[in-house]
Amino acid sequence: MQQITIAPVTRIEGHACIRLFVDDNGGVCDARFQVTQIRGFERFITGRPFFEMPSLTARICGICPVSHQLASAKACDQLLAVTIPATAARLRAILNFGQLIQSHALSFFYLSAPDLLLGMDHPVATRNFFGVAEKDPQFARDGIELRKFGQQVIERLAGRRIHPTWAVPGGVRSPLEHSARDAILSDLPAMQTLVRNHLQRFRDSLSRYQEYADNFGSFPSLFLSLVGDQDQLEHYHGNLRFIDAHGTTIINDLSPANYQEYIGEAVEPWTYLKFPYYLPQGYPDGMYRVGPLARLNVSRCCGTRHADSELNLFKQLAAGKPVLNSFHAHYARLIEVLYALEMMEQLLADSSILDPHVRAVAGVNQFEGIGAIEAPRGTLIHHYRVDADGLIVRANLIIATGHNNLAMNKAILQAARRYIVSNRLEEGMLNRVEAVIRTFDPCLSCSTHAVGSMPFVIELIAPDGQCIDRIRR
Amino acid sequence: MKKLRLATLWLDGCSGCHMSLLDADERLLELTAFFDIVYSPLVDVKQFPEKVDITCIEGPISSPEDERLLAEVRKRTRLLVAMGDCAVTGNIPAMRNIEGAPAMLQNIYTGQELLQPQVPGTDIPILNDKALPIHHFVPVDLFIPGCPPSADTLFTTLTALVKGETDQIPLPACFGA
Amino acid sequence: MTTPILTLTIDGKEVSGLATETILQVARENGFSIPTLCWLEGLTSVGSCRLCMVELRGSTALHPACITLIQEGMTVTTSSERLLRYRRAIIELLFSERNHACAVCVVNGHCELQSLAQQLGLDHISFPGLYPALPVDASHSRFVMDHNRCILCTRCVRVCSEIEGAHTWDVKDRGIRSRIVADLDTPWGDSTTCTGCGKCVHVCPTGALFEKGKSVAEMFKKPPALPYLKATRAQEV
Repeated sequence: MQQITIAPVTRIEGHACIRLFVDDNGGVCDARFQVTQIRGFERFITGRPFFEMPSLTARICGICPVSHQLASAKACDQLLAVTIPATAARLRAILNFGQLIQSHALSFFYLSAPDLLLGMDHPVATRNFFGVAEKDPQFARDGIELRKFGQQVIERLAGRRIHPTWAVPGGVRSPLEHSARDAILSDLPAMQTLVRNHLQRFRDSLSRYQEYADNFGSFPSLFLSLVGDQDQLEHYHGNLRFIDAHGTTIINDLSPANYQEYIGEAVEPWTYLKFPYYLPQGYPDGMYRVGPLARLNVSRCCGTRHADSELNLFKQLAAGKPVLNSFHAHYARLIEVLYALEMMEQLLADSSILDPHVRAVAGVNQFEGIGAIEAPRGTLIHHYRVDADGLIVRANLIIATGHNNLAMNKAILQAARRYIVSNRLEEGMLNRVEAVIRTFDPCLSCSTHAVGSMPFVIELIAPDGQCIDRIRR
Repeated sequence: MKKLRLATLWLDGCSGCHMSLLDADERLLELTAFFDIVYSPLVDVKQFPEKVDITCIEGPISSPEDERLLAEVRKRTRLLVAMGDCAVTGNIPAMRNIEGAPAMLQNIYTGQELLQPQVPGTDIPILNDKALPIHHFVPVDLFIPGCPPSADTLFTTLTALVKGETDQIPLPACFGA
Repeated sequence: MTTPILTLTIDGKEVSGLATETILQVARENGFSIPTLCWLEGLTSVGSCRLCMVELRGSTALHPACITLIQEGMTVTTSSERLLRYRRAIIELLFSERNHACAVCVVNGHCELQSLAQQLGLDHISFPGLYPALPVDASHSRFVMDHNRCILCTRCVRVCSEIEGAHTWDVKDRGIRSRIVADLDTPWGDSTTCTGCGKCVHVCPTGALFEKGKSVAEMFKKPPALPYLKATRAQEV
């Protein structure tokens, strides 16, 4: 059995290592996406007061701290057993849109564009965002501009861009200021134009990426996401829905509080990332995907004008059935950004958004709280149990990248079979395998992080475990 | 002016410090006038290069793998910067040190509700008992506290280092800021 | 019988004070800043944190300014390389002794320990952390005691005993194993002496004592004006 290792996987949010197992005939027979470290949040937050959770769990991830803060705050709202002020919920939703925009901008412009714009076979030294900036300065500037806008929304609402302490159990800490609202509203039109242009550009170039679309995680699976009560796209409110690869709803209107009825978690000895699976189908068959692609597949519409017309074009990719190619997550991200911008405009247009009453105050009234939210990369669940004093007794966190774990492993195997022939290993081929991972945009800091940089090594392992050949990049 | 070779390394942190660096926004492109970014999560080079002028490290040291890499980075780097509270003090990841890694892993991976409960340990780095700050392993030339340090702090620091004005570096942040 | 007035030199400046005053009092009256943690105006001085150590001419030892009375002709140095080294070491030891994660602390940005570290130019902690397993007592309906962040300054013990008159708080054990306890080591919520006045919470220099329901960085300490409290009470007697 030969083994090929790609480590670290770069330009994803987090580190991981890919191991490919080659059989005697030179075909790839198994692929493993290994997450190589864990920080242990689920465990070390136990014993802490629950009202620290929104800020403490934000430290799980510097890219989507707001998602963790909001999922956590929603779980804590349940511990208080209060209905938070309507304005607070709307402000949280806007904060979440800011988060979605900056994170999608990072994923598309900073992390994936080098592959898409420069090409998979571009020299490694410049195959990065700075290389993109050299080749297409305006493209890079747009990426910076869009990410900055999202980060500024967070800053204008919550006081700082990374790890703010604004969303709290019971609501948010301070109302929206007039000036902040005006500033966001005045930036919105330019951002909408920018995103619509890039959507157009990406759509026009889709044919160039057909090869990737066919080989990057293109297979049937279930999809999971939150969805609104009118079947519309939803990131903050709503209940969970599972659909199958044909688009048939198999579980509808599942309250996040009951997630454990349908979602189990399995452990494998070779990775620190657990494998959530759809319980009725068992493990590992109960594979499902979450994230931008899943959300657009699960939702019937966006509910905003421009995003809806884009969604219709998107759904034509699979003739109205779910789009099964993970590669199209890039496309889905851009549509979601457009939707987020339009939603923000709607929410900010209503003057009640300035209402000063944004926090409900209470102590512990329930000992269990479960909060779910759609993070940029998919469904995020925070589940806490507390004692009567409000100290965390047990915590379970299911992060988006975890939900996708089974699917990512399958996608890598698919790409490796297509691109890797054991006696011919080239940079561009290996990068394609990595690029598959990037389409999932995994955020491994969420679960863990970092393999350190074992230099890129391909190891050929003989059946007796001896290393018979090794190539370094 | 000769460009400096800059590396950024992300160990057991949350990437917030790297994101804060990106929060320099359009100034990010200015940086490329002073620096060649030779190794970073944002670029594709897999092997830590030789003769690096500055390496900014985010996150604490949590595994023998981290230690090995850190030793290599120290050897090849002129100026080592501990970027952010985790690298400087251990910060949040060090909260696990109270219990230690073995007990923590037991708790996370052997729960009743899990399928195939077991502590992972095949072909993956074993965790050190504790997550520790960088200077416990190698000498550090510059500490930048903050969770994360602001984009301004990071940008100002990097540009001061380019000019060789290391004594001019303001440290506006305290632990946890 | 009037209290004699003495003259002394602080950092090269000639100053005067009453014979009943400490170096710390006279120094602060004259605009010299000496860092303190356990000292609080209106409480008895215990000289336990050792941050206010100063140098006196003619003595090789260092002297805590908060409990050393001034003397005629004294020459005091409030700040030197040696003193800075000691003060930094004290703060570093406090940080390494228990579990301080400033970033997610309820008093982040309003903490005396955190700001002293900054004032003294500490950018890292050279000592290895001990990471002791310490409890959080959240049994009280309104307040929380987090032993992870306690620096054993005993301000809470003194304010409760000397000002509130309840003497709910005390210290058990010795040395590094010392721990603040309520009553005779019962959960705070079960205390039969605690009046719930909150003075201990607001004199606590760190996030060890805080109000329930406050989130990260949200707790501001509002220490009561203790000398004024004492003075008005003295008039009532």
